[in-house]
Amino acid sequence: MKLKKMVMKDLVMVNFLSSEKLDQSFDNLSSFMDERVEAYTNFKNIGIPSKRNERWKYTDLKNDIRGIDFSLCKTLIEIKKASSDKIDISQIDYFNKNKSDYLKPTKHLNDEAVIYLNLSYSNLFRGITIKESPEKPILVNIDSSGEGMSFPRFIFNIYPNVNVEIHFFIRGGKGFINQLIEFNIDNNSTVNIFRVNESTSIHSETFMTYLSTNSNLFLTNLSLPKNKSRFQAFNSFNEEHSSSVFKSVSIPYEGCKDDFLVYNNHIGSSCESNVGMRSILEKGVECSFQALIDIENKVKNSKAEQDCRAILLDEKASMNAKPEMKIFNNDVVCKHGTTIGSLNKDQIFYLNSRGLSKSRAEKILLQGIISEYIPENSPLRNFLPENYK
Amino acid sequence: MKQFLNIKNLSVSVDEKLIINNLNLKINKGEIHAIMGPNGSGKSTLSNVLAGKNGYNVTNGDILFCKENLLDFSPDERANKGIFLAFQYPVEIPGVTNINFIKTAMESNREFQGLDPLKPGDFLKLIKEKAELLGIPEDRLKRQLNVGFSGGEKKRNEALQLMMLNPSLAILDETDSGLDVDAFKIVADAINSTRSKDNSMLIITHYQRLLERIQPDIVHVFVNGSIIESGGPELANEIEKNGYERFSNG
Repeated sequence: MKLKKMVMKDLVMVNFLSSEKLDQSFDNLSSFMDERVEAYTNFKNIGIPSKRNERWKYTDLKNDIRGIDFSLCKTLIEIKKASSDKIDISQIDYFNKNKSDYLKPTKHLNDEAVIYLNLSYSNLFRGITIKESPEKPILVNIDSSGEGMSFPRFIFNIYPNVNVEIHFFIRGGKGFINQLIEFNIDNNSTVNIFRVNESTSIHSETFMTYLSTNSNLFLTNLSLPKNKSRFQAFNSFNEEHSSSVFKSVSIPYEGCKDDFLVYNNHIGSSCESNVGMRSILEKGVECSFQALIDIENKVKNSKAEQDCRAILLDEKASMNAKPEMKIFNNDVVCKHGTTIGSLNKDQIFYLNSRGLSKSRAEKILLQGIISEYIPENSPLRNFLPENYK
Repeated sequence: MKQFLNIKNLSVSVDEKLIINNLNLKINKGEIHAIMGPNGSGKSTLSNVLAGKNGYNVTNGDILFCKENLLDFSPDERANKGIFLAFQYPVEIPGVTNINFIKTAMESNREFQGLDPLKPGDFLKLIKEKAELLGIPEDRLKRQLNVGFSGGEKKRNEALQLMMLNPSLAILDETDSGLDVDAFKIVADAINSTRSKDNSMLIITHYQRLLERIQPDIVHVFVNGSIIESGGPELANEIEKNGYERFSNG
């Protein structure tokens, strides 16, 4: 009986999403192409994720979006670049393009309903092709307003031998934002991302990255959500000597929630992945860190690290950590560590013994934890809450 | 001579175990006292209690520092009043650069004394001068505080902080341990150079060799939480030669 009930609820949700009301708002996507239908069918088969799904065990999306109006909310996307930089930004109908340029097959896709949901409905779609290293960072502002839903989608195609810095700013809204960002990084290219999340919406964001030979992806994330937020990244190290470093600082607002999930799939040999999170939590805040190192058979000389540190400043804050490793050969160096707790009393005493008050010492220690990922010269520094600058 | 630190009938316990037992110790301004004693005799407990670390239960006695009861003050207030503990095991503070930390500590001390912060140029000049004396390379000042430092580097850094903060009473808790022969000489001589008629030191050590370079006025033998004998530097020579057997049996 229970199972039947669940299925009914899923169907109700799906029917809402495919309702006439929502379809009418897709003026520029009136033709429902085969790929969109296929993604929609996949989504329908999986259903909206709930905590029963292991990967979503800390994010109850089904419950969270229950009360949201299933119409499109207004979302402003602004992409800024230096006029001299040769970057092609297009608002394109990806179904008319070569599909293989975009969504590449990955095993992570199998059960990711939010990705299929975005593929079905992506209403704000930008393709960004970078053929030469830009002089200045590309700035991407995503700001939604009002209630309802939005499904922004970006594809960054990075040509070989390119170095690019991209800054994402996510703000605004009262509804549900389901964002998908794909990076195709060609040989010998490096993408350095700085992301600030100040979303007031329920926010779900997925990064899907395909790394070619000798390519690198760096992400420094400052997450200051003012609602429930989930960031998930699926990195496929398809070819040799590719690497990624993901560093996230999470300081959610009172009563808010922030989930951070990174799956690194080592398919090519001699690849390196590194994921770390620093969280400062208080006032009923809940945070989670999930990371998977997945090193396939026959893949040699892999290096991977996971590192999570959370400071709980009061008893009402909570942190969940779930580091995982799936390693199918011996030619691997992996490290993982998780520390959850209050500030170290010996460190506080050391600072006190040099004349710093308890509150000053605590502030310095917290600033120190943040500075590990967001040092003084970081572009994210200005976005830190005043207390932690 | 002006009395500076006066420990009267001090008893301290940890988890109901008596560590310091009815200790009496007076240090006058400008004096250097050394405490020597076997492992587990309570020497580090004494230094932690003086600095105000939590977890120590003072069951009896007083500690007067410049006529004020030190036990009434928090660790930071004690530090700002001029007490400095050079740690036996300095902790690592990730994300905080060494130079910024020392600058912040100096500003805090000067603010307490009603002084303006040092001008950035003056501070830099001073810290480079002191670091050079201690053989600390400039790039280590920019590194995270004690993070990845060797035992010897940590001790040199404690000595640097001591020289920068110029406290009234420096408590050196086994500052000589972990230093190689050359580093030992450099650090000991640098600390010795801070000696003045206005400052006092309490040196906790196992080795007479430190007291050869920083010659104490009085040496105390500390056993089972009490001073059982005091004397001149010759007492340190005797301990170096014969160990603590005579004192333990006595």
